[in-house]
Amino acid sequence: MILEIKDLKKSFPKKKGEMVAIADFDLNVEEGEFVCILGPSGCGKTTILRIIAGLEPPTAGNILLNGKEISEPGSDRGMVFQEFALFPWRTVRRNVEFGLELKGVPAEERRARTDRFIELVGLSGFEDYHPYQLSGGMKQRVGIARALANEPQILLMDEPFGALDAQTRNLMQKELLRIWSETKKTVVFITHSVDEAVFLADRIVVMTARPSSIGETYEIKWERPRDRASPEFALLRKKILDQLESMVRIEE
Amino acid sequence: MNEESANYLDRTMEALNKPLVKSSVVALISLTMFVLTWWAVAIWANLVYLPAPPDVLDALIRSFMYKDPNMGVNMWHNMYASLQRFILGFLLAFIVAVPLGLVMGFSKIAGLLAKPVVEVFRPIPPIAWVPFFIAVFFYFWGPVMVIFVGVLFPLLSNIYFGVKSVEPILLDAARTQGASRLQMFTKVIFPYTIPFLMTGVRIGMGIGWMCIVAAEMIGGVGGGIGVYIYVQANLGVYANMFAGMIVIAILGLLTTGIMQYFENVTNRRMGIR
Repeated sequence: MILEIKDLKKSFPKKKGEMVAIADFDLNVEEGEFVCILGPSGCGKTTILRIIAGLEPPTAGNILLNGKEISEPGSDRGMVFQEFALFPWRTVRRNVEFGLELKGVPAEERRARTDRFIELVGLSGFEDYHPYQLSGGMKQRVGIARALANEPQILLMDEPFGALDAQTRNLMQKELLRIWSETKKTVVFITHSVDEAVFLADRIVVMTARPSSIGETYEIKWERPRDRASPEFALLRKKILDQLESMVRIEE
Repeated sequence: MNEESANYLDRTMEALNKPLVKSSVVALISLTMFVLTWWAVAIWANLVYLPAPPDVLDALIRSFMYKDPNMGVNMWHNMYASLQRFILGFLLAFIVAVPLGLVMGFSKIAGLLAKPVVEVFRPIPPIAWVPFFIAVFFYFWGPVMVIFVGVLFPLLSNIYFGVKSVEPILLDAARTQGASRLQMFTKVIFPYTIPFLMTGVRIGMGIGWMCIVAAEMIGGVGGGIGVYIYVQANLGVYANMFAGMIVIAILGLLTTGIMQYFENVTNRRMGIR
């Protein structure tokens, strides 16, 4: 088990008492597993990921990465943001090598390592481009390369393709699966797209409405690449959609 | 031959349509129109303190070639004196504003402590400092200090604003990459602020120029273009007075032009279109 989340609770203070966003959240992720956390908007998916990343403290509960308690951000977890969050003044290469630079890795080794990850995400030839010269999909490739360049134990992805158009999104999903199979990283992937989750995940964890905890879990053992047009794909998608819809109705 | 001349015309039109050429041509036309209007008004009004363009041009050329009998120096010397004050005042403001702005933006306590003081001093026009600074620092450093306050506040507020507008997600990204607090400052906040700093420098330079002339005029001695303008006006040599004003305009255009160039280069290097 690479990631263990136990009894996670997150609440925000209000004028009277507190607003409980997440309660009784337990999740275990196996080494090399691709887990999608799926839920209606406003259910605290992003908060969960930010807590795992160490960007926000939990109100209660424990998060263990390889048995070690997490309390602050660290390069052992690579994060990919929906808004890309690239440094606009840095070129593609300098964005990817950011973490290595922080660690004081010598320039030559940095170059070799960034070359490898830039190639892995398919951006060879664009090393000296600035982010503003890249399309959304290419920007997120940089985001993925930057997260991987630190050789993290786990990749945290916060709706990474949410800002992309449908075609680019589908392409990037395929690319991500290729990168995943080549690097064998553990991935925790946040999305609100059922289609995306069914296409990508080994396991889908559906979150309930507030206070969020884990609802249904779906193991998907199908071969990849998965066929969106296949009946079992459509069936599973409908099942999960129905579940989400019923939750939203309860909320209302 | 006809075809050739048509080609030539085409090429000329093409050249004229390039944005830079186009804007220069328009600028030339607009300036010519201005000078002609000025000339016409000068002749029509026939006032002693409104000399015609040829007289001013003549005075301008003479001011560089010969020492002014009343000041004992030529325009080069006055330019040098003003530029020296300008550069010193500007550098002083830069040295103070950059660290202060960064710290004010980065550290909450420093920001809270410094802000009220800054807010009290900022609305005071730099010119209002002239009597005080001349009294304390005399004719050379007095105007330098006026430039210092003139440049300080636009620079300071731009840098402060730059630090404050750093996108939180970039800081998040840096933290997940393992950045320490110091690294977040040197690798994210500081580079993010540079374009803001450049804008502050350009705005500060414009204000600095206005300050120097006013400070030198009120000071009235010690050389400098402001002193020159003041002396010539008192003597009633209005062509010289206008020549001094034109020198200021040209120097101002040059400095802001150079700064605009550096700002553009920086912005390109910083990945801002």
